[in-house]
Amino acid sequence: MRDLWNKIRRRFGRDKLALFSVTVISIYIVAGLLALIGILAPHYAQSVGEAYAPPSWVHPLGLDVLGRSIWDRVVQGARVALIVGFVSTFIAIPFGTVLGLIAGYFRGVVDAFVVWLYSTLDSVPTILLLLTLALVLPTGKGLATVCIALGVTSWVSTCRVVRGEVIRQKEFDYVRAARSLGATDSRILFVHVLPNALHLILVQASLVFVYSIKSEIILSYLGVGVQNFPSWGVMIDDARLELVGRGVWWQFAAATGALFILVLAFNLFNDALRDALDPNQS
Amino acid sequence: MLSFLSRRVLHAIPTLLGITLLLFVLFHWVGGNPVYRLLGKNANAVEIARMTHQLGLDKPFWNQYWDYLRDLSHGSFGRSWETKQRVSEMILDGLGPSLSLAIPAFILSALISLAMALTAALYRDRWLDRLLVVLSVCGMSLSVLTFIIAAQYLFAFRAGWFPISGWEPGLTGVPFLALPILIWVAASLGASVRFYRAVFLEEMRREYVVTARAKGLSWPRVLVHHVLPNAMIPILTQLVMELPMLFTGSLLLENFFGIPGLGNMSVNAINASDLPVIKAMTFIGSVLYIAANIVGDALYAWFDPRVRVS
Amino acid sequence: MKSRIISPPLALSVALLCACNPYQHQKNVYRGALSSNLKTFDPAQASDSYSNQCQFQIYECLYEYKYLARPYDVQPCLASSLPEVDDSGRDYTIHLRSDVEFQDDKCFPGGKGRRVTAQDFIYSIKRMTDVRTQTFGWWIFDGKVKGLNAFRDASEQLPPLPDSIHPALYDQKIEGLRALDDTTVRIELTRPYPYFKYILAMPYAAIIPHEAVDYYGEEFLNHPVGTGPFILKEWRRGLRLVFERNPNYHHGFYPTTGEPGDSAAGLLEDAGKPLPFLDRAEFYIYEETQPMWLNFLRGNLDRSAIPKDNFSQAITPEGLRPDLLQKGIHAHQMQELDISYICFNMEDSVFTRDRKLRQAMQLAYDVETVIDRFYNGLGIRAQSPVPPGLFGYDSAFRSPYGHFDPEAARKLLTEDGHPGGAGLPELSYLTVAGTDARQRGEHFVQNMAAIGVRVKVESCTWPEYLERLRRKKFQLVGSSWSADYPDPENFLQLLYGPNAPPGENNASYRNPEYDSLYQRMAVMSDSPERLTIIRRMKSIVAEDCPWILISHRTTEVLAYDRVHNVISHPILEAPLKYYRVD
Repeated sequence: MRDLWNKIRRRFGRDKLALFSVTVISIYIVAGLLALIGILAPHYAQSVGEAYAPPSWVHPLGLDVLGRSIWDRVVQGARVALIVGFVSTFIAIPFGTVLGLIAGYFRGVVDAFVVWLYSTLDSVPTILLLLTLALVLPTGKGLATVCIALGVTSWVSTCRVVRGEVIRQKEFDYVRAARSLGATDSRILFVHVLPNALHLILVQASLVFVYSIKSEIILSYLGVGVQNFPSWGVMIDDARLELVGRGVWWQFAAATGALFILVLAFNLFNDALRDALDPNQS
Repeated sequence: MLSFLSRRVLHAIPTLLGITLLLFVLFHWVGGNPVYRLLGKNANAVEIARMTHQLGLDKPFWNQYWDYLRDLSHGSFGRSWETKQRVSEMILDGLGPSLSLAIPAFILSALISLAMALTAALYRDRWLDRLLVVLSVCGMSLSVLTFIIAAQYLFAFRAGWFPISGWEPGLTGVPFLALPILIWVAASLGASVRFYRAVFLEEMRREYVVTARAKGLSWPRVLVHHVLPNAMIPILTQLVMELPMLFTGSLLLENFFGIPGLGNMSVNAINASDLPVIKAMTFIGSVLYIAANIVGDALYAWFDPRVRVS
Repeated sequence: MKSRIISPPLALSVALLCACNPYQHQKNVYRGALSSNLKTFDPAQASDSYSNQCQFQIYECLYEYKYLARPYDVQPCLASSLPEVDDSGRDYTIHLRSDVEFQDDKCFPGGKGRRVTAQDFIYSIKRMTDVRTQTFGWWIFDGKVKGLNAFRDASEQLPPLPDSIHPALYDQKIEGLRALDDTTVRIELTRPYPYFKYILAMPYAAIIPHEAVDYYGEEFLNHPVGTGPFILKEWRRGLRLVFERNPNYHHGFYPTTGEPGDSAAGLLEDAGKPLPFLDRAEFYIYEETQPMWLNFLRGNLDRSAIPKDNFSQAITPEGLRPDLLQKGIHAHQMQELDISYICFNMEDSVFTRDRKLRQAMQLAYDVETVIDRFYNGLGIRAQSPVPPGLFGYDSAFRSPYGHFDPEAARKLLTEDGHPGGAGLPELSYLTVAGTDARQRGEHFVQNMAAIGVRVKVESCTWPEYLERLRRKKFQLVGSSWSADYPDPENFLQLLYGPNAPPGENNASYRNPEYDSLYQRMAVMSDSPERLTIIRRMKSIVAEDCPWILISHRTTEVLAYDRVHNVISHPILEAPLKYYRVD
């Protein structure tokens, strides 16, 4: 574990872009937290001026159809995006990891079942599955459902990757050695094998995070995402008709810009992470 | 080879069954009892009970599942609750428009991204490569919605170069497809170029490439004659895996551009809780995915005999 | 291989291709737009506006609405004269024309359409009454015609379709629905409903030939066979429909009289001429409003509504914009016969006894802004359920709560024991999913928050919406109603106690005085006494506030000058047979 951290630190210390990406992500997280507590952008639901007012000094991103500040809505949208990212990742990664571990380690029936499970899930066209889940889950439409639906559909790649790695690692000497010393399976799995797969898991976590954010946009755009609350997807949905009908571009630009910067930062972050942790790198 | 294939097909069957079960479970619990929609909200209790019985919705879960499987094996997807047409006919109707968008876009996207990736690999670490990588990463960082909305607004509405939406069959339909295809290509370039570039770079690191260069062969020659064919294995498998996506059609593109394809049909079906259609689309999509997987694996095995043995 | 950029020649050829116009304009061909795919041509099942617009070109009823004359009334169509009603108001004798033929179709022997008879009308109504047809329109006859309800109950015993498409049951005589001979129909009602002639003009009562149903079976909804001015030539689902002139149609003529001003507007130029004028009519399906609007601007469509977000591009405070006038476009406005409202679930404990809360919420809702922002100002604030243009509408009538006054709302809340909204739970407002509905929901939440009432919006799919209305699983819900026929009873029945779900009384409102007044006015013809009763009913509703009244819509439609004889009619949705295109 310490070894991984050192690798990360070294790589990120060298690379300006990587540092930049971490900074940007941190800014978003801080903004999201502040919005959550209510310090930042608390008046997102109030009318503060004329509908569709263009950007001005007072409201640098303009106002929307009900006269609400777009800046405030963008910030709250960031909070939503981050919540979705974190929660889905926290559902998908542990689930995928555990299943991958037991499938790869125990093989046989367990493996067959897990492979069958994720093949099944994987075969169903993702967006249809997401839309259907969003309509089916008892939590109704909204943030919880989006997170659950995304978590439930994103664990597959993590599981695959971990399983592959565990199968590989099983043949290694240290595993045989541990077993001959009398270590229990779970001990071997969690204390020895898991740390060796951690680098892959971390990369997966980052990928799932980004995927969740982008998917939430589409789900919210289609109306099955977050309800009663601003989110970037909802803003883009609002913006669509405003753009062509009234030439109002500020809401579109704001939501797109906020999304772009965050996802770009994540993509750069992913690259640097992968570079730092992937043992195949020359 | 044959035993390899047959093993894979055999493995696919439980997956297929698993999918039908998953779909059925999901949709069995989906909200919006179809009876209300079919009868209107003014139906009384007697009519509702009657309809429920007629649709077989009062049978136990496993009976309904069995009926569903039986219908599937006959190729019958039932009738849409919303349009009352046969679902299989609806799918055939929608196939044309979807494919007329998806196939050209797929081919164009593959060709352009391969070309760009190859260029990036050729000019590795020089400014052209850097530029392409930056563009790719930026492309990956935008939502596909952004591409669609911005392109439609700028190029169709403001500039008037393309019709805003619509679709016509045959040659007259080409103007309508131009913009959606371009958007599809542009939105998919980012991730594809990065992936293919990585594959090319990986391949270029191999010993035989170093040897070839040492023998004095120029880079373009090495790339085209040696790297490309070898890199085609993972690339081709990846492309094959993307084929099933053509079937579901890009939901968003079809929705925005009013193309009456399968993607649009799926979105409408979901909004209307039109279960027969959703079930059919999901099932077919899954079958195609499994088929593509098998074909992809077969391709891999054909190129790389080591895989067959495992 | 170098990376390609889109070369100029390629861009040029793409642009050239785009320049060639797939929608050519031709004489006597009308091109219109449908905002959604139509579902069915079967008149018994057509309940949505789009299906109705289409099946209306092909099917006809005994009566049809007069095109130009006001107030809205019906004239004979397949009947030869208005119904002869006896003194009790319950017995109708209707004579049919003897010269109308169905269109030619292969379901008929020899492919030739045959004469329409009274038995065809009886058959059509029986089929529609048959539960297996699953019509949404049964309510128009339910309990009104002697013996028909018994027929409906009997049809429940029949084997499910497609078996027994023409069962022996259909040959049974019904007491209140008889064909005295080939051209005479006798209907006996249970009560003297004065608006029954309008019901005979509704699409559910269209006349269909049994040969078509027997021949096409389950596919009948795709193969319409009627008596109307057009026949279905082509139907590409999701794209367009094409209708062509029906060569067997001879009984329609353009009206010779109209309202003052019609002559000056050029609406009587074609007086007395045989219909239809069009050789062909094409409907293009546009689920998105933007492409429809742009195609209209380019001249590819002859008529279009104005999408909400493009309104200012078309209409300025002075009227239609000059650049559009120059293109040969004109606008016409029409006051719709409708009402939109947000209704309270009167069976929800929060609302049942809390009249002041309901009144306060009506006062707190800024309806004028709603009309301005979401309807582009096209609408009249509603003060009662009855829209302008119907008997019983009074432009001077004001509900005591029918204006925007958040201060008064807050005072009411305080009087009510909920100062600043204290003690009230968070309310839920149900809407159908969609961008517009969502924005309106957010606006409503904003208005209510200003007086301290917390509301959250719940959006759902259309089927879910219907189900929740029926099961009364909502607190607040947005809804609207368009007139089925031009009688105030059609609107006042929305608040009649016994009409609670599964009926149309979404609010489950029950007021004994209102109910008994309703029963009286429903069977009265227009008279001063009826007016007094209606006025009293409006006052009750205004005080009780089971609804937050919103507006009566005005629609503004644009059309090109080359299309003649276009007027908007609130009940006739697409009267293409009157149009003429240069």
